[in-house]
Amino acid sequence: MHLVFAYIDPGAGSLVIQAIIAGLVSIPFFFRNAIRSTIGRFRHKPTDGASAATGRSAPDEKGAASTDSE
Amino acid sequence: MTERPAAEREPGSYRDPSGFVFRRDGVLYRQINASFADDWAAFESSGLHQALVREGLLIADAPASLELAPEPGAVAVIQPDEIGFVSHPFEWSFSQLKDAALLTLRAQSLAAEHGMTLRDASAYNVQFSDGKAILIDTLSFERAAGDQPWKPYRQFCENFLAPLALMAHRDGRLGQLLRTWIDGVPLDLASELLPRSTRYFAPGLAAHIHLHARAQRQHAGSSGPDGAPSGTSRAVTMSEGRRLALLDHLRRTVEGLHLPAHGTVWADYADQTSYSKAGTASKESIVKHMLKAIASDGGRRAWDVGANTGRYSRIAADAGFWVLALDIDWAAVERHYLTLRSSGETRVTPLLADIAEPSPAIGWENTERASLIDRANADVVIALALVHHLAIGRNVPLPMISRLMARLSPNLIVEWIPKDDPMVQRLLAAREDIFADYSPEAFLAAFHTDFEILEEAPIEDSGRVLFRMRRHQ
Repeated sequence: MHLVFAYIDPGAGSLVIQAIIAGLVSIPFFFRNAIRSTIGRFRHKPTDGASAATGRSAPDEKGAASTDSE
Repeated sequence: MTERPAAEREPGSYRDPSGFVFRRDGVLYRQINASFADDWAAFESSGLHQALVREGLLIADAPASLELAPEPGAVAVIQPDEIGFVSHPFEWSFSQLKDAALLTLRAQSLAAEHGMTLRDASAYNVQFSDGKAILIDTLSFERAAGDQPWKPYRQFCENFLAPLALMAHRDGRLGQLLRTWIDGVPLDLASELLPRSTRYFAPGLAAHIHLHARAQRQHAGSSGPDGAPSGTSRAVTMSEGRRLALLDHLRRTVEGLHLPAHGTVWADYADQTSYSKAGTASKESIVKHMLKAIASDGGRRAWDVGANTGRYSRIAADAGFWVLALDIDWAAVERHYLTLRSSGETRVTPLLADIAEPSPAIGWENTERASLIDRANADVVIALALVHHLAIGRNVPLPMISRLMARLSPNLIVEWIPKDDPMVQRLLAAREDIFADYSPEAFLAAFHTDFEILEEAPIEDSGRVLFRMRRHQ
């Protein structure tokens, strides 16, 4: 069992509702991330030569990865 | 006592027992208390401190001597970089508040990557410096406990999400609610004021504002001794994954908020002044010349009062000034901020302020957040096309306008607009002309009381005149 130590008042109702909301939004969140990482894996497939030629796929993946981590 | 200059604690720095901000000899420092030692050590050793500063999310600081600590129990003293002007969240436009919100979430995400978390999410922890939002509270981060909820969730919703939602869905002026509620807009009020449609068709707002407000009402009262909210049998826990999902959802909700696309009288004003091309060129070159004279006297900070969308603020910036661009109209400030942000101009900070009714001092003992006038730090005030709005639009006698200008700054560039000017006539269109004293003679007599007039330059193609003045010693 945990005490919530905070110098600000996190609010009893705010703690409860955020757990409920987090539970709900985590479903699409993980689903989205799963799709993204799958797409990411497919994008990795072309050879280095191909991605260098388009010059696009590498930065795109970087962008997707950094969005994931946010 | 020692010979060190006395330390003065910043009046707004009293809520957090882990440390506080103080000044010694005019220099800003932060004391970190022993109770926070472990979290401070983790902040350093996790690399988060450096990462935040490197990414420009947190104000840089330098370690300072522990001897500077004014109170016992210090484990460290740091000297943070100074911000050019400390603004309050109700002085920001919609996009400024939105950028501050996204900065807070980005900092939380970076913290999570380092095993740390934000411990508060007050909008007052954000300031605008070099053209962008930056966190100024170096003590906002602590070690993340694996299964705890996000403690600043409520504070984030009240400080950022509620005012942003109200501005986007109701009216851009509702950011002013933050002036009354220093700790953020109460969620029950936000829920009440938001359009009904946001309960059903805006999932982010339905969850984080409407349901949140309802939960607050249901759990109002107490939390048990074990930290369990009343009505629940155990403390709330939350996995890291769910915490990430919650923060991702908050970010999406904030990013999804936009102001409705319509201007106000003021935001269109710059495009429809009464100047001819020659008049504009003449005014610009005179202002430039006057600013250069003040800059060569050592002037560095300018306040452009009534800046509108910032035409002359940019001229001041080009003349080497750091500029605070104040305007009464939220849409003009919004437009100015967006223009600066897209152009990469970092020397101008636009803020929402009414010089005829400046931001008051608010908070504890009326000292926690200083009034606009107490924050005056300009070397020059630029008051173009302003005096007639104050004298005729707001009925302020000319000597009082002069006195205010003299309080704000030692130098003044001011424009006199005669009564027969179309812009003055517009102000008088629907009202009785009770302004017999609005004359060039009365203007000069009033300003002579407080200022020495150094330059006087008529603007071509108009009856307007620009003056450069210096406050009497």
